[in-house]
Amino acid sequence: MTHIVGRISAALLATTIAGTALAQDTSVTIVLSEELDIVDPCESSRSNLGRVLLQNISETVTELVPGSGLQPRLAVSWEDKGDGTWRFKLREGVTFSDGTALDAGDLAHSIARFQGDAISCEIGAKFFGGIDLTTEVIDDTTIDITADPAQPILPLLMSTVTVVPSETAMDSFVETPIGTGPFVWEEYARGEYIKLSANDSYWGETPAVTGATYLFRSDSAVRAAMVAAGEADIAANIALQDATDPAMDYSYPNSETVYMRPDTHTAPLDDVRVRQALNYAIDREAFVGTILANGTLLATGLTPPSTIGYNTDLEPYPYDLEKAKALLAEAAADGVPVDTKITLIGRIGNYGNVLETMEASLSMWQEAGFNMELRMVEVAEWLDHYSQPFAEGRGPEIVNAQHDNANGDPVFSMYFKYACDGLQSATCDETLEGLIADATALTGADREAKWSETFKYIQQDLVADVMLFHMVGFSRVNPRLEFTPTIRTNSELQLSQVGFK
Amino acid sequence: MKSFLGKRAVASAISLVGLVILVFFLSRLTGDPTDLFLPEHASQEARDKFRAIHGLDQPLIIQFFSYLGDLLRFDFGESVRRSEPAIDSVLRGFAWTLQLGAVTMSLVTVAAIVVGSLAAFHVGGFFDRVATFFSLIGASAPDFWIAIVAIVVFSVNLGWLPTSGTGTIWHWVMPVSVLFIRPFGLILQVVRGSMIAALNSAYVKTARAKGVRNRPIIFVHALRNALLPVITVLGDQTAAILNGAVVVETIFGFPGIGKLMIDSILQRDFNVILAAIMVTAFAIFLMNVLIDILYTVLDPRIRY
Repeated sequence: MTHIVGRISAALLATTIAGTALAQDTSVTIVLSEELDIVDPCESSRSNLGRVLLQNISETVTELVPGSGLQPRLAVSWEDKGDGTWRFKLREGVTFSDGTALDAGDLAHSIARFQGDAISCEIGAKFFGGIDLTTEVIDDTTIDITADPAQPILPLLMSTVTVVPSETAMDSFVETPIGTGPFVWEEYARGEYIKLSANDSYWGETPAVTGATYLFRSDSAVRAAMVAAGEADIAANIALQDATDPAMDYSYPNSETVYMRPDTHTAPLDDVRVRQALNYAIDREAFVGTILANGTLLATGLTPPSTIGYNTDLEPYPYDLEKAKALLAEAAADGVPVDTKITLIGRIGNYGNVLETMEASLSMWQEAGFNMELRMVEVAEWLDHYSQPFAEGRGPEIVNAQHDNANGDPVFSMYFKYACDGLQSATCDETLEGLIADATALTGADREAKWSETFKYIQQDLVADVMLFHMVGFSRVNPRLEFTPTIRTNSELQLSQVGFK
Repeated sequence: MKSFLGKRAVASAISLVGLVILVFFLSRLTGDPTDLFLPEHASQEARDKFRAIHGLDQPLIIQFFSYLGDLLRFDFGESVRRSEPAIDSVLRGFAWTLQLGAVTMSLVTVAAIVVGSLAAFHVGGFFDRVATFFSLIGASAPDFWIAIVAIVVFSVNLGWLPTSGTGTIWHWVMPVSVLFIRPFGLILQVVRGSMIAALNSAYVKTARAKGVRNRPIIFVHALRNALLPVITVLGDQTAAILNGAVVVETIFGFPGIGKLMIDSILQRDFNVILAAIMVTAFAIFLMNVLIDILYTVLDPRIRY
């Protein structure tokens, strides 16, 4: 009996010591909402992967820093050589975690890899779709990159490009990420945890954090409880109802915009008055502070206010039920089949309280006289409705979606959301095509003005969609840390930005 | 007995083949995993290549017979998501669930039999009423609610137990406790009912008349006969846990087979779904055989 009591006491002591150790050591525990499936750096634009890899294991060529603009990272400078060619000068003395030195050949290989057909990487598909990149290595630290068509914002686009060693296989995803970042990939116990440790040969400043463990808990209440109980240091994404402690919980614009996308190719949604009626019939302000968090902004465009060219002169459509009904009546009088049943399609679990948001919207539209039904579907079925090619013979559909753009420029959104052959575009408008093409080719103030004009055209003239909200995210941070989540926390979580009090 | 086991094995094998056919085709009705595995913007070439690598470009019937052919060599295929043999993911998850189920059901069995027997012996009394009240609550309370409340109370407020995960014996306390509640409530009720019937039977009255004490009457004479229906329910409850304690595993971060199955269904990782179903079906078959053997031990009149 004494023996058993002794063993229980020892176990209790060990648990207590482990808890105390968490409060004293310089490693951190981060709890994420979903486990990683792929761990290849070329997939770092996926937010769940980006939070682990981006700028921790794998560094980008340039870096977009909120408030400071585009900054050097693996490249120290860049120069426009004309005709779509930019010359990038890479940092000297940088080594990968496998001990090999970073050189221009590694960057050329990384670009070829994400652009190739052997594997399909999100960075290539998402940010460089329709752009052909060719590279010419000038010397170990100098590389010319040519974009066709020419990209005046190529240095900004390079802030999405992670660099891997030239030995990385072209035709398969890597299982153990190798990068140049301040941390190295140490262990992945599938279903349990990922461990990173400090990279002793890192070229930059040594971070205060010496190691990190990532855990996965799908339930938001559990993630919040883990930080509250001192078992975790950061819960990167918790639900509104779990953010109950002002001392630990941070809210911030998370770069996500929620909107409704009517299929403008199908009657009655092909009539601009019907789309205007959809906009007037939604009481946007009623959502904020009720089923969506306080601080949620009403949106007038697809990208958050932090992107260049965001048109601050635009106002959200006011709630005007009578005007909505009048517009519908006017369209009906002209023979538009406004009584046709419209399917409203939402994605299960897309964001906090998505079902409540959809049901409230449905109710408001039905009150305005729309014949509408709601279908909540899982992601794969939702993609069938959201991405081209759309099904033949489909009825009129409005798809609810959430789009994130934390990259500072609308170019990352506009083409594939609004161009005629944009993958997720449900509209085709000649004027808008021209505006997007023009803005994409411009720089500086001209670019900003053209994007502004584009936002105005989309919202007021074309009325392409029903813009709803720029969303707010919540993270819970252990008070022992010196860390403030930002708009970037949704897609990356740089351990080198974490300090201790 | 041997012929009985042989017949059960053949019947189970036929059921398993039926299950594989059903799950194989039903899972493919959910759509193409290419849509979920590759980026939304992936080129058609990349999609075609992915489908060719994983045999998804073949007609469905060819895919099915190819899968059956691999199965005969005990090749359960690769997990698309995890880049490892599907059976490795499944066995790893099943080992966790098996431990969780074994610990929980052992405790449930002992506790439900002791409390249920005592409640039956004092039927209508205070102990019986308290046990019945809590067993009914336990049998009907939702797992996820109990789990979250337990985390808030015992981890956040009291700081006694870890919220989730694995590693120490303390990590097992809450998952086992939450899993314990429902089968305990159900089985306690079955034990109580069976025991009431047994205690009113002629052979127990005879034993009492002969002056046998209460404890031997309950735990030797009555219990042995009352256990047959209890074992049936125990088997069902154990099968439910082995088949995936999804809610508990998800909330407490237990990397068991229930969570693996749900993740695989959502990710259309067909080979993992099929391997998981075959492994759990085989385990449930073994457990049912064990229960049949237990019947013969408890009641020698039963012959196969």
